[in-house]
Amino acid sequence: MNSLILLTLKNIRLLLRSKGSALIIIFAPLLIILLLGLSYNTDAKYGINIGIYSQSYGDDTNAFIKVLQEQEFTVTKYESIETCTLNIKKGNVHTCINLPENLKVEDNNAKEVTFYVDPSRINLVWMIQETVKTKFSFKSQEISESLTQDILTKISATKTKVDEQSNQVSTIKEKNAAASTATEAAKSSLTAIDTTTSNATYDTTSIGLLSEEMSATTEKIDEAVGKIAKANMTAKDKTEIKATLEEAKGKLANASTLITGPEPTSINNLISNLQTDLNLVKSKLTTAATNIATSGTQLETTKTTLQESITSLASVQESLNQVKANLESQKITEAKTIASPITTKIEKVGTAGTYLNYLFPALLVLVVMFSSLLLGTTLVMMEKNSPAFLRNFFLPIRKITFITSTYLTTLIMVVIEIAIILGLSLFFLEESAPILPTIALILLIAASVFTFLGMIIGYIFTSEETGVLASISLGSVLLFVSGVILPLEGISIALRNITFFNPFVVTEKLIHETFLFKTPLGDVWVDLMILVAYAVVLFLIVLILESLLHKHLIHRFMKHKHPHLRQQEKKNKNYL
Amino acid sequence: MLFPNIYKSKKNTKNVELIQLKEVSKEYRKTKILEDVNLTIEHGDILGVIGQSGSGKTTLLNLIAGFIEPSEGEVVYFSAANHEEKNLSKNLNKIKRHIGFTPQHNSFYPKLSVAENLWHFGKLYGINKATLANNITNLLHFTQLSNHQNKLAEHLSGGMQKRLDISCSLIHKPRILILDEPTADLDPILQNEILHLLQEVNKQGITIVIASHHLDSIENICNKVAIVHGGKVHTHGLLDEIRKPYLKDHFTINLRSGTEKEHLLSKLQKVPLRKIIDEGHRLVIYPENVEKTMTSLLNVIKEENLFLHDMDLRKPSLNEIFEKITQGK
Repeated sequence: MNSLILLTLKNIRLLLRSKGSALIIIFAPLLIILLLGLSYNTDAKYGINIGIYSQSYGDDTNAFIKVLQEQEFTVTKYESIETCTLNIKKGNVHTCINLPENLKVEDNNAKEVTFYVDPSRINLVWMIQETVKTKFSFKSQEISESLTQDILTKISATKTKVDEQSNQVSTIKEKNAAASTATEAAKSSLTAIDTTTSNATYDTTSIGLLSEEMSATTEKIDEAVGKIAKANMTAKDKTEIKATLEEAKGKLANASTLITGPEPTSINNLISNLQTDLNLVKSKLTTAATNIATSGTQLETTKTTLQESITSLASVQESLNQVKANLESQKITEAKTIASPITTKIEKVGTAGTYLNYLFPALLVLVVMFSSLLLGTTLVMMEKNSPAFLRNFFLPIRKITFITSTYLTTLIMVVIEIAIILGLSLFFLEESAPILPTIALILLIAASVFTFLGMIIGYIFTSEETGVLASISLGSVLLFVSGVILPLEGISIALRNITFFNPFVVTEKLIHETFLFKTPLGDVWVDLMILVAYAVVLFLIVLILESLLHKHLIHRFMKHKHPHLRQQEKKNKNYL
Repeated sequence: MLFPNIYKSKKNTKNVELIQLKEVSKEYRKTKILEDVNLTIEHGDILGVIGQSGSGKTTLLNLIAGFIEPSEGEVVYFSAANHEEKNLSKNLNKIKRHIGFTPQHNSFYPKLSVAENLWHFGKLYGINKATLANNITNLLHFTQLSNHQNKLAEHLSGGMQKRLDISCSLIHKPRILILDEPTADLDPILQNEILHLLQEVNKQGITIVIASHHLDSIENICNKVAIVHGGKVHTHGLLDEIRKPYLKDHFTINLRSGTEKEHLLSKLQKVPLRKIIDEGHRLVIYPENVEKTMTSLLNVIKEENLFLHDMDLRKPSLNEIFEKITQGK
């Protein structure tokens, strides 16, 4: 156990005495955690910039914009949606919202709100969508509630009307029942009218014969009269004529017999029979007339009742028309519109692509950053710790030449790496071929920046291990505060402003714009100049650092290589 | 000839100053490492710098090489063209072209081949291609590395690596070659090999300054020695001159028999001596003049046909002198 404790204590002592290693191994991760902790330890508002465009800003839209402004968003109004989306490409705004003139829903068509987002900001786009959509959901819910309330009011009014008209309908119902009863009674009365008649058949032949005889006789008499009066004839003739007339008279007598004879067939009997029948009919008709009169009264009553019903029904109809008109005034009739009066639509800015497209800029910068940082550090370390370090002191070469050679070596390696990556990318992202030279140029400048950073680390740290670890730590910090892993919008405001100058962020932004949105270099020259400025400043720092440290390095080298000191170190190690 | 065109004309440059340290002191963090050093390195010298660990030996070498600047005094370099005196620190960029430095540990790129290392340093010295090719061929031949020129430096043996390191220091034809512990970590055979090589280099007209713990090696090849002790150059100059104060005032002889001893003693009566001590078979002789007595003695032995079994007339070794100096004897 004692040995174990001794060995452990020895290890700790050795570790702590190797200041560089201890600093990096123990404190670098702590430093990273501290930095990130400080960065994200904030409840500050999300730094989301929202661009708004509307053809005209009504009360609704202005109220909505105010709601957004009062919350965690910075809202900027744009004159056109194109300007707004251009600012998305530039990274000035995170999303553009194309708002309708007002948010009032007037028909079955829901109001459409279009979001324009940069799909390549994978870690941010959903968050923005969800957050802003939530705001719209509230608004949509508000409108939906208003619409539903309208409908409910109308339904309530309808109910009142229906209640009112229900009594009317009851009255109509009673009146109709009374009319029905009256009609039934009328029906009974009418049914009660005896319409049966005698079935006896009257032989009217004699009457016919009589009629014929009478006619004939009449004709003959008339003929005779005519002849006698007018004829210039003899008396004989006239006698004969008279005889004829006598005959006619006989015939007429017969006819009279036929009419008044006792035979049942005589006209007289016939008429008598008819008289009886007619009396019977008259009696029946009198009864019928009474019944009809009764029915008429009843029907009059029914008519009156029905008139009243018609009036009531007209009233009901009027009420129903009012209800209908009221219901028809409800323009929004589709359940979908009532439920979702505002619909949101997501439009992607730039050409659609796969996640590889979106991640490609970050991946490129990531590779370049770590390669350059590590190569820069490693090459400086290799040179510093190279056995030939002292010999280089005697070379008639300026320090800047050594620095430049390290830089060029890194650059060549990174160029090869970039060429391989971009070459391979052509298989997947063929359409990007025309912009590859631009990307390559940006990456070269970025590689310069990171190489100089790596070289500075190389000069500062003593051992290659600690230097490499420091480079990785620096790269990790730059990566963490780049927005690639965690959105920058979650960082405290003060740090967020600093992180925009993170060379990783600047490079990623440049590649992002040129690669995804095909933005020409002329439009992103500010960022490009920032990167170039970084490279120049860091190069100067490397020069200064090299000048300051060169003699120290030689001294350290000689001290380290000096046999006496090596022996002393050996002794110390053995002792430890 | 290693560099025939360069050094042929410089054979008559003996006793011409090359580097001079004038009242040089060096302090590190208020601790004096070296104090009031006056030292002249002449063209063609092989100067050995010896001293105990921590005596300031390496600091002295660094001052001569220009790695560090003196805190006081100055190091001057005499140009080859007109023997103009130039402050080393102020003209380092120009002067360092004439200095070759071989640190204790190999100072080349292990992952480059022998030829690549030479090409690399040669080109960085601005030597044109044809001259450089010629220099490399000569150097490889001179250091017997011709057969290994395509091997990676790290794959060479210890001796070969040291030869390559020296070659790298010579590629630009320096006037002075400074070596820090060139034989450290080498076995005796390789040590001799390197020392021989350095002698050959010196014969080419290249001045050599060596710091070494191997005093035998220094004694063997150096014509001048600087002994650094306690932050000061205690002694410096030609080896024989350094020895003078430490030469012995007596010598011993050992004869085959007592008869011969008696015979010799009778003959030595004529030779002026301060004292003779008879130690049995051995005689300890204190002459008035060591050289004259030695000559007379040898003549007697020859004339009398005596058999001289043993004779000790040793000069004090550098090691003995160094010990005496460092132990304050």
